[in-house]
Amino acid sequence: MTVSQEQVARGEPILSVNGLSAGYGPMRVIHDLDLIIHPGERVGIVGLNGHGKSTLFLAIAGLTGWQRGSIKLSGHEVGGTRSQGPGRHTHKVVRRGLALMPQGDEIFHGLTVEEHLDSGAFTPKAWRERATRKEGVLQVFPPLRKLMQTPVGRLSGGERRMVSLGRGLMADASLFLVDEPSLGLAPKIGKSVMEALFAIELGSSAMVIAEQNVALLEGRVDRIIGMHVGKLKGEASASLAQHNRREA
Amino acid sequence: MDFGFIFITAITLACIYGTLAIGISITWSSLGLVNMAYGFTFSAAGFGAWYVGRLAQDLPLVADYPLLLGAIVIAAGIVTGALVGVMVCALAFIPIHDKPEFTVRGLIATLAISLIGTQVLLYMFGPRAKPLPTLFGDWKVSFGDIVITADKGGSIMASIVLLTLTLRWMTHSRRGLEIRAMMMNPHAASLVGIGVRRTGFYVMALTGGLAGLASVLLSQTYFVSPFAGLTPLIKGLSVALCGGLGSVQGAVIAAVILGFNEALTASFLGGQYVLITQFLLIIAIILVRPRGIAGILDRAREA
Amino acid sequence: MTTIWKNPHQVWHAAKANPEAPTPDWTDPTEIWRKKRTSHAKLYKVGRLRYYHKWGGHGAKLWSRLRYWPTRRRVLDIRSEYNPKTQRVEKTIVDKRPIWWMMALMALAVLPMLTPGEVANTLLGAATIFLIYSAINLCWTLVIGTAGIFSLATMAVVGAAAYAAAGTSVFWGWPWWTMPLSGAALGLVMGVIIALPAIRLDGFYYALLTLGLNELCRVYVIQSKTFGSATGGLYGADSFIPQSASQSTQLIIGYYGSFVVLLAALLLFRLVNGRRLGRILRMAPEKREAFAEAAGVDYRKARIHVFIITSIALGAIGGYYASYFRGASPSLFSFDTVLLGLAMLVIGGLGRAEGAVLGTLIVVFFDKVLIDLGALRLVIIGLIMLFVVLFLRRGLFGIKEQFRTWRDKKKSEHRSARAEKGGEMLPEEATETEDKDELYLRRFDKLTRDYLKTLVTDEVIEEHRRSPLGQHSEALERLLIYFRRQPQVDKYAITVIEPFKSYRIVALSGHRGVAPRVVEEKVYTSIHDAYHGVFMRRVQDLLES
Repeated sequence: MTVSQEQVARGEPILSVNGLSAGYGPMRVIHDLDLIIHPGERVGIVGLNGHGKSTLFLAIAGLTGWQRGSIKLSGHEVGGTRSQGPGRHTHKVVRRGLALMPQGDEIFHGLTVEEHLDSGAFTPKAWRERATRKEGVLQVFPPLRKLMQTPVGRLSGGERRMVSLGRGLMADASLFLVDEPSLGLAPKIGKSVMEALFAIELGSSAMVIAEQNVALLEGRVDRIIGMHVGKLKGEASASLAQHNRREA
Repeated sequence: MDFGFIFITAITLACIYGTLAIGISITWSSLGLVNMAYGFTFSAAGFGAWYVGRLAQDLPLVADYPLLLGAIVIAAGIVTGALVGVMVCALAFIPIHDKPEFTVRGLIATLAISLIGTQVLLYMFGPRAKPLPTLFGDWKVSFGDIVITADKGGSIMASIVLLTLTLRWMTHSRRGLEIRAMMMNPHAASLVGIGVRRTGFYVMALTGGLAGLASVLLSQTYFVSPFAGLTPLIKGLSVALCGGLGSVQGAVIAAVILGFNEALTASFLGGQYVLITQFLLIIAIILVRPRGIAGILDRAREA
Repeated sequence: MTTIWKNPHQVWHAAKANPEAPTPDWTDPTEIWRKKRTSHAKLYKVGRLRYYHKWGGHGAKLWSRLRYWPTRRRVLDIRSEYNPKTQRVEKTIVDKRPIWWMMALMALAVLPMLTPGEVANTLLGAATIFLIYSAINLCWTLVIGTAGIFSLATMAVVGAAAYAAAGTSVFWGWPWWTMPLSGAALGLVMGVIIALPAIRLDGFYYALLTLGLNELCRVYVIQSKTFGSATGGLYGADSFIPQSASQSTQLIIGYYGSFVVLLAALLLFRLVNGRRLGRILRMAPEKREAFAEAAGVDYRKARIHVFIITSIALGAIGGYYASYFRGASPSLFSFDTVLLGLAMLVIGGLGRAEGAVLGTLIVVFFDKVLIDLGALRLVIIGLIMLFVVLFLRRGLFGIKEQFRTWRDKKKSEHRSARAEKGGEMLPEEATETEDKDELYLRRFDKLTRDYLKTLVTDEVIEEHRRSPLGQHSEALERLLIYFRRQPQVDKYAITVIEPFKSYRIVALSGHRGVAPRVVEEKVYTSIHDAYHGVFMRRVQDLLES
């Protein structure tokens, strides 16, 4: 499962990050980073705690303390230099087709699961087709079907994660950024959540998954990129990574 | 003692207070702003309604249908309230909403706006109180013992209709979902594409409109004056506080309780004891449930 | 621009070597180092570090022996040290605030003698009100700033105490000196009652509740016949100001009485904020209460203590107020009074004594001295308040700190956002690197490359094309030496496809047993062309880095 040549040849990457630096106050977390994601790709970003995986995602959504460098989402510039007001332009970036599923569950406690999924489909187009989209999400996460009218505040951790991911999938997005989907879950549940993510048909959109555990990603994504101290280090197509592991 | 009268008075007060309190409650929970300029919004909307009503009185069509005049005046009140709400938002919410210590600064900024605004109203319209035209005509319905006069019946109807519409809008529309999502988790809200600033304008326009409605309705019994906003602000705040800031059901229940308290106290003990009993009641509720009545209703797990 | 380089080997008639070649002028390779090492930051005489005036001579010991009785607090915090250069003793005042306070208080003490005759009455009246309100606001600052209870019921306590004290005097004929005492007693009662909900409520719920309490007092007083709903207040109380004296004497007595009240309030502020209670509460700032609690700090109790102590003080001030004005009026409870009081606190800066006093000064100046402006003065106060709240984080006295924070933020952002590719390693990265030599190696490499980039010219490339091997001009030699020195990973090499006929450029893997990879499809027909091809690739890589 590699990116077909014509997809690459078609040009126009979904995300192209060029010279991105970002951080919070005096601390710089991302150093001058370049990244290109093509349509149809499923990319894994692997790195230890505190090496900037989440910050990279937040910077793409415009949620870090400051940032500079170009971020092009489907050809539109959403980056630039910014030194204050984190989150002030996030909704515009989201409307350009970004769905960020953040670390930890950023959920709305009082809304029911159904309302929650609706809230994910916030762009006008997605809102119109929210019924079919909801059906799609329920196919991916079948346990949610029974919980549709339950307030999210009463769900368990795994169920919350499904709701949080499902909300991201509801969006009419061309780029899904998934931040540590298995964090804090029991290994078995985490694995099933990951499986659900791998099962999603991407079509012309792309998905980037940040994860600490390489084993969960191996063989299931097109590329694995290592991240070390705010820089991307070493890239391997999934088959190569698997090969190296077998050698070792 | 005329229990029918007390009952109707209580329900009327509950409706109006509920309208006020829900506005305050929504502002606090979705924007994190304690809107102290609510009283100013209230009196400005009253003046807007009065001004439009005076202009409209002379129109030929209006003279024939007095109810039409009522509708125009109510609409004018709501629109003025919404406009003032938008102005307060632009002045006190937009510049500081992502700065440190926003809650304290927002509170003080709205206080400053109310100080300035009241003086401006005083300058423009003078200190004299202005009466509004009768809104709901002159009729009477009696159910056995209970007599409902036009102003009370109209107030009850108008506020219930508008509150129901607002609540339906909040639960069923996309904008309503937007506001409720902001109430629960502003950070996550921006992640699903909700712009905090734009939502701020919606919320303040909505709550301003509610204040305008309450203003027009209350002006049936009281008059419109620059300083008229203070008592409703305090009443609205205490109802919202008692119901639990951020909870709409809590606010409705609290409005009913406090409305009955006011009607009962006024007829048994006298007008000057209304606030005293009211505060004793609130302190009692708050001491048991620090988050107000909503603390009893809310069963969702926190965090 | 160019000079002609002559091949020294020409003497021996070296084969195929260039006899001479144009080459760029010699430039000093250390120049770039020197430029890099000089500081680009402007140096100011004063400003980078905090500036302290130094006075000479001994005597710091004397200052540290001088204590306020009965505390063990020093009068001035003076540090003395030997100047390492001149070997003389120097003294530095570390905290100059006591001096400012002394100067301000002395100015206040002599103010009545300095006021010009025609405006003396207005000015002294306003100044007296300023003193009383300063005292009230100091107590309020203790509640909001130190105790962190957002109470708006301060004026309610003052007003209730004023009414109670006026009542004891009017109805029971108690003398004036009992009025602050009876006021304090009522303040204690009010404080306990108001503090009760503060145990359960947090932040803004409490603010709203106390605002309501204030309104409750106002409505009650306005509607009550005993407290003068008809006469507009309760008047006729005994006063410390003799009625027989002339008007100006009365004003001056009132002024100095209020001055004493302010001094007492300052003392109270110092005692509460600067000692045990204040320290406990500073350990438990907002949103970190749980941590303080875990560390064994009973901040709730401390808050309630501060609240009750200030309520007693406010009650006493209320009693004094009633005695000064010979009564009390409902305007004490009005919303505008609360609003103006809050404006005073906010303009100066919440939580500090100097802020409360300065804010009071500004607001009282607009409200009482510029009384001719009419309603406009309230608008002006409102605008100042709005401006301060929108732009300043901690009022006027916080400007310095806020500016410093902003400057530091900008500076550090600028520093960390600076992207020098391949040069400096940033602190975050440097701490993660195991081999610290790497830091210096990178910096050296960056500077070397910067210099070498200046050497790449058409002449040098042409010289290399003509003869890739053998003796070269200095510029070309420097480039080649740098290229040859590169590590084995991804180093370019030439592989022979067919001897003397076709060659190809590859890149070494750098690992034993791993074959080099082909970098370009182009096939060179002679070894010289291949040499030059490698050179051109390296030059290109250098210029791109």
